[in-house]
Amino acid sequence: MEHAIELRDVRKTFGPKVAVDGVSLVVPRGAIYGVIGPSGAGKTTCIRMIMAILFPDSGALSVLGRASALDAKDRIGYLPEERGVYRKMRVGAFLTYIAQLKGLSHQIAAARVPDLLERVGLKGTEKTACDELSKGMLQRVQFVGAMLHQPDLLILDEPFSGLDPVSVRLLREEVLRAHARGATILLSTHIMAYAEELCDHVFMIHEGRKVLDQPMSGLRRQFDRRRILFEPLHDGADVSGIAAMPDVSRVEASNGGGYTVTLVEGAEPSLAVARIAALVPPARLEIARLRLEDVFVRIVAGGGGLDDAAAALRSRLQSGAVEEARA
Amino acid sequence: MSPRKIALVAGREFMAAVTNKGFLIGILIMPVMFSVLVVAMPRLMTASARQQVRGEVAVIDPTGRVAPALRDTLSVAAIEARRERFIARAMQDVAGSPGEAAVRNQQNVARVSGATPEFHLVDRPAPADLAAEKRWLTAPPAGDLRPLALVVVQPDALQPAPGQTKYGSYDLFVPPNTDERLENEVRDGLQDAIVKGRLAARQLDASDVEAMTTVTRPPSTTVGAVERRTSVGFNRFVPFVFVGLIVFGVMIGAQTLMTSTVEEKSSRVIEVLLSAVSPLELMAGKVLGQMAVSLLVLALYIGIGVLMLTSFAMIGLLDPWLVFYLVLFFLITYFLFASAFGAIGAAVNEMREAQALVTPVMLVLMVPWLMAAPVAREPNSTFAIALSFIPPMNTLAMMIRMASTSPPPIWQVWATIGVGLAAACAVTWIAAKIFRVGLLMYGKPPNFATLLRWARQS
Repeated sequence: MEHAIELRDVRKTFGPKVAVDGVSLVVPRGAIYGVIGPSGAGKTTCIRMIMAILFPDSGALSVLGRASALDAKDRIGYLPEERGVYRKMRVGAFLTYIAQLKGLSHQIAAARVPDLLERVGLKGTEKTACDELSKGMLQRVQFVGAMLHQPDLLILDEPFSGLDPVSVRLLREEVLRAHARGATILLSTHIMAYAEELCDHVFMIHEGRKVLDQPMSGLRRQFDRRRILFEPLHDGADVSGIAAMPDVSRVEASNGGGYTVTLVEGAEPSLAVARIAALVPPARLEIARLRLEDVFVRIVAGGGGLDDAAAALRSRLQSGAVEEARA
Repeated sequence: MSPRKIALVAGREFMAAVTNKGFLIGILIMPVMFSVLVVAMPRLMTASARQQVRGEVAVIDPTGRVAPALRDTLSVAAIEARRERFIARAMQDVAGSPGEAAVRNQQNVARVSGATPEFHLVDRPAPADLAAEKRWLTAPPAGDLRPLALVVVQPDALQPAPGQTKYGSYDLFVPPNTDERLENEVRDGLQDAIVKGRLAARQLDASDVEAMTTVTRPPSTTVGAVERRTSVGFNRFVPFVFVGLIVFGVMIGAQTLMTSTVEEKSSRVIEVLLSAVSPLELMAGKVLGQMAVSLLVLALYIGIGVLMLTSFAMIGLLDPWLVFYLVLFFLITYFLFASAFGAIGAAVNEMREAQALVTPVMLVLMVPWLMAAPVAREPNSTFAIALSFIPPMNTLAMMIRMASTSPPPIWQVWATIGVGLAAACAVTWIAAKIFRVGLLMYGKPPNFATLLRWARQS
């Protein structure tokens, strides 16, 4: 089956600045793909090239089996990072216009608008002029604009930034609904929690280069084997015994009455877990999982010695990327 | 290129422009008010005169010869003949032959001048009591005829007093609130009657004298391959009106196009649009939408012109082919300038930045204004012919020449159209490239060198 998006060694420069440098990416159909990276990393440039709003200097790409998104625009829903509406237009008219540009008939577009507006918490705003809405409301209006024509590919550039938690939840449900319908989703965000929760694959770009391209399941399976999260069953339990254990290097209290136990180099975490459980009855006891945020921070920090594992992961991913590019 | 998407963009562009309050007030209300005025004016002018005025004119005539002549010159038939002569002369001054036929029509004469008044002359034997006669003017009328005027002919009106060379005249007394036109009718009648009386006093025949003093003024004939009769006056200002209409229409469309593009860019809606349409589709839609706006305005103004000419019974003066070429030349000029303005709109971040780039383009659009007078004076000079083939002035120069007294040969007209179309296509092609690159460029405002670099890049 053809991929929803495929980028092969794509490069884009703006004058002397290299915005995207030899990035390759394959998004299978039906996936929820997260694009993460710090500000100015090249995420939006990548997305604009996928949308054929910008064109790469070199490299090749295909979108929904076509050489350019221009040939598949009506099958793509796009929420750009820069939010924009016709301020004087009414919400209903604006959304109907956008949906018509995406190939829907006026009747179908007009019929879908009220329902979708209600689902994102904007019931009854069809007749309201766009400039009377708050920034968050406009963002949801634009989100509806990207969804109305039920696209096969949904590209969302920072869809949740600046939204309140209730709105985030409503939009997230809509994204999942589109995914359940069979749509492929490409989601750019710098809020790691959302990427972690929604995406089944994560792609990270930093300084124009790909630095991470991995399924979330694989990332979740990776554990920080030297850290154990521990929460005693009883309040005020004495944890000095844990600190005295030979394979423990330190015990730090964390927020919420728990502790982070760091093991010495070479210690076997499973044995340490058993010993801790024997010493102090636990309410919660687990080997720390690697969080996407940790990976992100460590990669962006540039291997400043925060964590050896992250550095190793980084070098492994980079070499993987090189191999992939060679292939 | 999807025609459906282009039509959608054009439709939105048109609706956004014509439903804008500024547009409605500035572009539509003014001409509508003007046309109401134009239609209403002749009717207002003749409204009071529409009701036929019937009344008495008292004459104190010591000469005894003016009053009988006045009875003749103030008759309904004489008044109508005078009016017809006056309008025919006025039309000849303005236009020459085409309008004359139109105004010879009795209905038109009546429409322009109002109903013919009916004067009943009442002789007052001289010497009369002037004070009593003045009181008669202001007293309530006894019957259905109201007093309209009191004429006192001076004794030396027909023959100068002994030892004098100067003729006497008359005194005219009218009741308050007398219509000036009514007064003028009496004066015109008096003028004719007194002149006739003076001629008779010298044993001269009035019709002979009139025939001897009348020299018909024919329109001049332009000598060339095809000899044609040309009319001056009306045709002298037609070229300027037409060029004005083209420039005005282009300015409205192109300026609004630029403003709306800058707005789309600054409100960041442009990226949403570009996810649905290609830059070329967007530009095509916008250019066509604004073209419709300009055509609407142009149609409105042409409509007012036609209404005005019809209202003053001068529609015969307008050559319909000129209107056809006006629209055609407008379209060519519009495409050339609109795409340039659109590209500028796409290149800048806000209207303030656009000014630096727009000023030279505006100057180019204004050049024909400066050239209009010399081209109109000598429409077939080498200068005028050369200008007809240099875009973007070509269409405007040709418009002036075509509306002038000696229009150019038809091959030159079509050559101008060809050159104009080629220039419009070339400018649109370059503008489309700048448009595409400029739309997503933010930051430092570009100059012309940057625009050219973008055009080369894309």
